[in-house]
Amino acid sequence: MMLKSELNRMDDLTRRQLIAKTAKAALGVTLLPIGSQLARGAATAAAGGKAKHVIYLYMAGGMSHIDTWDPKTGDTKGPTDPIKTKASGMMLGGTMTKMAQQADKISIIRSMSSKTGVHDQGNYLMHTGYDPRGTIIHPTMGAWGTHFLGRMSKTLPDSVIVNASGGAGAGFFPPAFSPIPITNPAVGLQNIQPTTADSNFKKRLDLMNEFDAGFRKKFQSAEIKAYSDFYDETLSLMKSEDLKAFDLTKEDAATRAKYGTGSFGQGCLLARRLVEHGVRFIEVQTGGWDMHNNIDTAMGTTGAGMDNTFAALLEDLASKGLLESTLVVMGSEFGRTPNINENAGRDHYPKVYSTVFAGGGVKGGFVYGASDEGGREVADKQVTVQDYLSTVGYAMGLPVDEVVMSPSNRPFTVGDKGKPILELFA
Amino acid sequence: MKPSKALILSIGCLVLATAVAKAEDAATTARTWTDSKGRQVTATFVGLQGDTISIQTAAGQIFNLPLTTFSAEDQAYAKSAKPAVTYVAVNATVGQAAAAVDALVVKGLLAGRAKITKDNAAATLATDKRELPKPNPLMTDEQFVRRVYIDIAGRIPNYDEAKGFLTDASPTKRAKLIDMLLDSPGYASNSYNYFAEMLRVKDRLEQDNLRGVDYITWMQKQIAENRPWNEMVYDMVTAKGKMWHNGAAGYLLRDGGMPLDNLANTLTVFLGTDVACAQCHDHPFADWTQRQFFEMAAFFGASDTTNRAAGMKTRELSEAAVALAEKGGGDPQRIRNGISNFIRANNNEVVDSDKNRMKLPHDYKYKDGKPNEPVEPKFIMWDTKKDKGNPAFKQSKSKEEGLRESFAKWMTHPSNPRFAMSIANRMWKRAFGQGVAEPVTNIDDPEKASNPELLKHLASEMVRVKFDLKAFMRIVYNTQSYQREATSEEVKMGEPYYFQGPQLRRMTAEQAWDSYMTLVVGDADKFTKPLDSLYGRSVDLDLTNEKLDAKTVLMKYSAFQGMAAKERALMGGALGSDDMMMQSKKGKGKDAAPDMMMENASMSFDGMVLRRAAELEQPERGGHFLAEFGQSPRMLIDGGSKAGSVPQVLMLMNGKAQQMLTNSDSLLFKTMDKVNNPADKVEAVFLSVLSRKPTLAEKDIAKRGIESAGSDGFSNLIWALINTREFMFVQ
Repeated sequence: MMLKSELNRMDDLTRRQLIAKTAKAALGVTLLPIGSQLARGAATAAAGGKAKHVIYLYMAGGMSHIDTWDPKTGDTKGPTDPIKTKASGMMLGGTMTKMAQQADKISIIRSMSSKTGVHDQGNYLMHTGYDPRGTIIHPTMGAWGTHFLGRMSKTLPDSVIVNASGGAGAGFFPPAFSPIPITNPAVGLQNIQPTTADSNFKKRLDLMNEFDAGFRKKFQSAEIKAYSDFYDETLSLMKSEDLKAFDLTKEDAATRAKYGTGSFGQGCLLARRLVEHGVRFIEVQTGGWDMHNNIDTAMGTTGAGMDNTFAALLEDLASKGLLESTLVVMGSEFGRTPNINENAGRDHYPKVYSTVFAGGGVKGGFVYGASDEGGREVADKQVTVQDYLSTVGYAMGLPVDEVVMSPSNRPFTVGDKGKPILELFA
Repeated sequence: MKPSKALILSIGCLVLATAVAKAEDAATTARTWTDSKGRQVTATFVGLQGDTISIQTAAGQIFNLPLTTFSAEDQAYAKSAKPAVTYVAVNATVGQAAAAVDALVVKGLLAGRAKITKDNAAATLATDKRELPKPNPLMTDEQFVRRVYIDIAGRIPNYDEAKGFLTDASPTKRAKLIDMLLDSPGYASNSYNYFAEMLRVKDRLEQDNLRGVDYITWMQKQIAENRPWNEMVYDMVTAKGKMWHNGAAGYLLRDGGMPLDNLANTLTVFLGTDVACAQCHDHPFADWTQRQFFEMAAFFGASDTTNRAAGMKTRELSEAAVALAEKGGGDPQRIRNGISNFIRANNNEVVDSDKNRMKLPHDYKYKDGKPNEPVEPKFIMWDTKKDKGNPAFKQSKSKEEGLRESFAKWMTHPSNPRFAMSIANRMWKRAFGQGVAEPVTNIDDPEKASNPELLKHLASEMVRVKFDLKAFMRIVYNTQSYQREATSEEVKMGEPYYFQGPQLRRMTAEQAWDSYMTLVVGDADKFTKPLDSLYGRSVDLDLTNEKLDAKTVLMKYSAFQGMAAKERALMGGALGSDDMMMQSKKGKGKDAAPDMMMENASMSFDGMVLRRAAELEQPERGGHFLAEFGQSPRMLIDGGSKAGSVPQVLMLMNGKAQQMLTNSDSLLFKTMDKVNNPADKVEAVFLSVLSRKPTLAEKDIAKRGIESAGSDGFSNLIWALINTREFMFVQ
């Protein structure tokens, strides 16, 4: 035991580290909130915590704010004129014709601001709330959810990421918290059935473990252990009754067509199925947003496709009564330059951009914050990426101010000490 | 580890260390040298070869002078002093060069031990104390053969290759195998995968559906011909024209319309200088300012990736052609997009003008410039004092058309402070799993490297071999440091690594796939993609030709569509068809195994084309083995992933790849047929899959397993081995 005086001599952080150690837990030890503004109970009891599920729509490449959620009429106007929507006073970019009809379901934050105009860093930040560092990988929101709330389904994974693989994933949490990557939603989860009889499959597994025992004993690295965990995880998933959640052929042709036949449309349909079967956090990515050239054409394809799919998803969730318990969030690493460049496109612009929230207890037809006339600067209520992710965490009922120690004994919180935007919630 | 073994190792380590220390005495002590005419110079002794003395002045310059030039005293000194270990003669053998690298690794390891000992003494918590690194044991032939095949040829050895090496009694067989592999097609394929990931090489580019096939082909050719790295990079940065006329132009066209991103990538990958943040603001950690970034960008300020002169013609032609085509019926939107993309692809061209248009950004907020102010090109300096005298910085900047050439000459110059160092550090990481400086994209301060002296030495070696990457890797693979066992302890993120051996690592997606191809077809390099690029030939339009009219454009467009369909077929259906994984093409050729068929000179299995990763679409689509195993989507620098996942495990356990291998018509079963008794068959499977013989215990396990499973016995054995972590990880 350490002497009390010594304990007092240590600075605050080291003392917390020591407490964390003596708590005997190796991973993701939870400490009491420090400087607590929102206790866990308060978060769940108030408007937050209604989002049992989250669908994160990630627009890779940097979605132009002016051509989508924050339209302008002056000299920075894009190729289309802003249009009126079902929500009074809320205007949208001219391509967002179908979302205009769903505007009563969404909240827009028009005063997002970050410092990084680089895809890699921006992407990491919009998923973790932290800048990338060479010394640690931070968890993404789904992994935070699993950490605080436990697994939702016994056999299905807690997080799924569609149209992407890699990324920060579980961060410093156990690899089993990683989202399952589905790189092609149309085929879903492939190879789910063993190609041999169950009894023989078991023999194969036993044989594998016997042959591999020496190697695993010699190399006890986290990487090897993670692989072994994935084998366990996969075996339990193979027994799941809910695997049809991944099978889009169970949907009728009209529904599949309505969402859009591309990977984003099918990905969002898959997300809805996963929500129905008890998956907590589903991210669906789509690219094509790095519109440095000919933004007119690009918005006509990528923009219109997103508009169609997003609207179909909201409509579908609402009609199935899932929108109250499902938060749909749309984000991107940054916005795009207000000025159209010489290639009729727009370049990277982190200074001000927009994100969208729908369902999960947030208001409809609501706009939070504003950019200035040209969409160049934040004019009102600046929102950081940390605030944004804390808001998502708040909606999920996560204790966003609770400090969690990484295995390397460094303190982290959901959304890196951002402040949830409470005004967004109904 | 047993104490006796540890002791032996540390003694070995000490002996080497003494050698380094002694050598260092001579190498670091400057003395005054006097020539026969009485002139004097202060320099350190480098070495004596025959009748030539090599000395190094404080400026780092090495002089090779006849022994007789010097005074008798100097001559006596040169004959008795030990030469510097780290100095490598211009014409040094691979062995000599490798020994110099090894000496520096040991030196760094000892420095690391000293540092950790000191840190441990100061640490209060027992958990903060770290173990002292010591060199790993030297690797066995079985470990060696597997690792070099994967590291150099990008795949595991097949049965004959593994067996041939293990039974070879020649004492020089390791060096010979390294030479053989460096000259094999696998080297080119594997290296291409590495650079394609680093440079984000892709086929389907975002702008105007432009395709990168000709850039890909160009790069593969350069690598296969072992073009020196500096020349290859020079070509990429300075190339002009359309991609299908000059493949190297693909480097700038890859990032068409985004010159600032392209520059940030250029500085990051080629110079290890991470200035991307400075695009928007002064770099928060390093010293780079936003102004410096734009001064560098000014070297590209007179260049463009769009041929604007052809812009007017493009629009007119598009409109006319679309109008003509719409008369024929069909979906107007589709026709419009198709034709307009076809014509616009021809606007993607690297052109230079005589006007530098680079300006500071409209929201520039620092005192050293005004918003929208024109910027003059200026090279960044890492060390103002040293860099001023550096010949790399002496480039003319007078002619605007020549700005890119000036930049490229500066960047690829042997004396550029970071160019050789950056590629050397990256190549080292390929062999050891970790760069001497990490991250490899940021080596602004070489002194922060885990072994700064080694880093600088590797950079000078890169220059000495004249950027011949094969020659450089030959040295690295021949070092004792490389030929040690993989480190079994966990290496924590952010902690320095002292190269006690290479790190254990998972195969890349491409290496895993190519290893499967080896197991399936034996000679994985047998099947290649169709050589000719049909794309470039069919998409090309001469927009400067006055006579080009809408009718001709439409005819060419229809030919282009035909070519695209033909190419899809040639690529085995991998291109353009979204549902490729669901297509089931079950044909039964007489000579081929069931469910495999010869198709366009490539094998395919159940819709999956059996060619090496470098010969498939770049990158492969979602759902493909390569995508599931983390092949980079080629959006971000070094964007591949080696993380495990559930879909990967499902693929290994239940996917097509294992079906091909456990099938009784597979190559593995044919290999087993070469021997008669069951124990030899087990050995054949072990050699094929794990490149090693089974241990006695494993033979026993295999025997029991096979006997208990009846006709599934050998399939089970194969399945079990390809599902081990030992298979997926490189020891």
